[in-house]
Amino acid sequence: MTLTFDEVLKRPKRDGSDKAVAELKSLLGDKVSTKPADLFSYSHDYWLITFHWLLKGKVPALPDAVVFPESEEDVVNAVQVAYENGVPIYPYGGGSGVLGATVPEYGGIVIDLKRLRDLRLYEDDLMVEAGAGVNGYYIEEYLNRKGYTLGHFPQSFYPSTVGGWVATKAIGQFSTKYGGIEDMVLGLRAVIPPGKLIELKPHPRTATGPDLRKLFVGSEGILGIVTKVWLKVRPYPEERYLLSFASESLEEALDSVRRILHRGARPAVVRIYDRVETKRHFYKFEELYGKIGTVMIVEGDSKLARAEKEIVEEEFKGVPTGEEPVRHWLETRFNVKEISEFAPVGVVIDTIEVAVNWSGAMNLYENVIRAMKSVKGTLMASAHASHFYDQGVCFYFTFAGVPPKGKSAEEFYNAVWDAAMRATLESGGTISHHHGIGRHRKRWLPEELGDAYEVLRRIKLAIDEKDVMNPGNMVV
Amino acid sequence: MPGKWDWLKDEIGLSNLLTGGRMLFKVIQGKLSVDDLTKCALCPNMCRHACPVSIIEGRETTSPAGKARVALMIREGRLELNLDNLEPLYTCLGCDLCSLYCPFEFSVADLIRPVKEKAVSKGVVFEEFREVFENLETSGDVCGKADSSADGSGRVLYFRGCTVRNERPELAEKTVEFLRKLGYDVFTVKETCCGLPAYNLGNTELFKKIAKKTADKLNATGAELIVTSCPSCAYAFRVLYPKHGINLKPRVLHVAELIGEVIPKLELRAEGTVTYHTPCKLAIHLGEKELLRGLLERVEGLEVKAPRRELFCCGHGGSAVSRLKPKLAEEIAAERREQLKDGATRVVTACPSCELALNGDGLEVIDIVEFLLEMMKK
Repeated sequence: MTLTFDEVLKRPKRDGSDKAVAELKSLLGDKVSTKPADLFSYSHDYWLITFHWLLKGKVPALPDAVVFPESEEDVVNAVQVAYENGVPIYPYGGGSGVLGATVPEYGGIVIDLKRLRDLRLYEDDLMVEAGAGVNGYYIEEYLNRKGYTLGHFPQSFYPSTVGGWVATKAIGQFSTKYGGIEDMVLGLRAVIPPGKLIELKPHPRTATGPDLRKLFVGSEGILGIVTKVWLKVRPYPEERYLLSFASESLEEALDSVRRILHRGARPAVVRIYDRVETKRHFYKFEELYGKIGTVMIVEGDSKLARAEKEIVEEEFKGVPTGEEPVRHWLETRFNVKEISEFAPVGVVIDTIEVAVNWSGAMNLYENVIRAMKSVKGTLMASAHASHFYDQGVCFYFTFAGVPPKGKSAEEFYNAVWDAAMRATLESGGTISHHHGIGRHRKRWLPEELGDAYEVLRRIKLAIDEKDVMNPGNMVV
Repeated sequence: MPGKWDWLKDEIGLSNLLTGGRMLFKVIQGKLSVDDLTKCALCPNMCRHACPVSIIEGRETTSPAGKARVALMIREGRLELNLDNLEPLYTCLGCDLCSLYCPFEFSVADLIRPVKEKAVSKGVVFEEFREVFENLETSGDVCGKADSSADGSGRVLYFRGCTVRNERPELAEKTVEFLRKLGYDVFTVKETCCGLPAYNLGNTELFKKIAKKTADKLNATGAELIVTSCPSCAYAFRVLYPKHGINLKPRVLHVAELIGEVIPKLELRAEGTVTYHTPCKLAIHLGEKELLRGLLERVEGLEVKAPRRELFCCGHGGSAVSRLKPKLAEEIAAERREQLKDGATRVVTACPSCELALNGDGLEVIDIVEFLLEMMKK
């Protein structure tokens, strides 16, 4: 069952917390906090449900302590003590997740990794070594200064951390060229129960059994705590082209991008906006209004970028609308005001991202929009296609509504989500493209994974026998 | 040309417009909204990367939105108004780098100030700050040493400020020399603090009291122009005084702004490489982000290299962190030094506090006036 406010309040605390906290304090001193302001600060993430808690002044999910490790050894110590006492552990990076993955549902110990900030560039290897707590903007700034880029620009670029990207299998807006974080991870270190630091060394490629790095990528803290990663870097792009187009139909725009990718071009950025979202984001551009708008960025080595630009121009069926819409997108893409403005007055607004193969793309888009709109109280539902692959596309839906009379905000919210998830599954899509599972999406995960869900549960319990690593997250 | 929200009217059917949609449009029209502190509290910290405290301390509670949340909870009576809970609010440098990336252009320092003011009014004050308040009350100096200077007279008043007077008096001498070389009829007077430390620490009443006294003193000098080495003093005089109804008659310039007015005719030459640290008060609060670099680039033959990050606090801004958490202030300074070293090991700045905070550990930090005066003597 999806967490509701009342259900969280009823969760029993695990025994052993007081003893564990006392041990941690004697071991780690002032790196452990039990101050009310700190406990409150780690009680939520950016899951809409937790916003409602905040606005009501409720904090139903409080940790017992927060640990601020300054070294991997500190993380090992924290995990050891917690595990011995059977106390839950919740790793925390930038806290910018939107599905409750870091909410300390059973009380216990939050481990904030933001003080693990080591950085080292290996230029010959085109690789950077980063502590889990390094801030997104910080690592990019560090690399740019030396002539490189990670190419990873998630919407949460400013608030999020490297470790958080790996834990949630994050992806950025420039992913068509640079890939998601899973494409960038060469190696990692993590602390697993009962408090053992493991290292998966960075290699160009390795065929040494199942790829254990992938086990931790997207594990959302249920298996261990990522403390360090080695990531691929690229030379900073030599050339950049900004391109935008107006199309008459979403299908036409999608087909154009499919052809571009199938020819081997890799524009760094591709975004296709449906009519509603084109009006919403590009209302200042007359030639785009009422159309399907697409923005693209082609960048890289100047010869390669020029060749890719030619492919784009040959294959995209639509009216070119110049550089300005792309420039506008670049300037406004981190402007996230709506939730702060609408949530406090009772408007429910959220985003849902899914992925689907090309062959099912239009069908899924239509089905999900229809499903969300069919929920009483929904005022609008729209989408843009935000990430692209040779095989298909990610649709990023936005809905907004006001709960109908007699329904709480949470009931309405869950109803729209359920409609969208069911429509996605029925349309052959995957329930999450990049926001992950968290506490919110876990109710649909068994349906998504089918019999394989049991494999995930067994892996989880094999590594975390006592179920202390972010319990309640992802798996029931 | 469609407006920003026309798409929503298109999208919401008429029947919905009369029911749930009404609420949506009230928000859009600004008729239904929450206060700024709540908006900040609900934001996913889109300015975290800009906040030196957040980057270095790495603690959610003292992230920009984290501070807003704590302030909100205290304001709403859900967290007790005590020193433990106030500590995050005073873990703020007042640099306002957050405002540069804020979708609402908020200053977190401004948003949380009312809670600090309430705390001070109720006598909930850190011991480290009581001393500041007492010093300002008794001697008009943040360090507690009343100024014993004689009062001069003239057209241009050089206002030294507490930091220069107490910790960098040689900069005062050099600045007077520099201004006279530029042809200004410059003088100094016995000073009292601009009052900014009291304001930063939430004691707005004390700030206003000191500000009135200082303004009266400065007005009585008959000076046409006040020049200061301290961007915090310049900010207080130029922005905060008018905001609080305190009238200061002379025009106020930070010395770098004055240099900006005269540099075209100076024809300065130098060799070597420098980088620069633009103080937050100069960049954000006085709106002069490019000034310092611009001045340096006018020096013939000088190689000017940007630091790794254009703007970052020296760790000693805002009057609070350096007193309450000196270790954190020093860690922030150490981070800034690393960023500056990516540019050069010789750093030009325009704030005595920044200079003191950043000097050392392989960096030679020099005030813009000393740097230019060095050239003018050749």
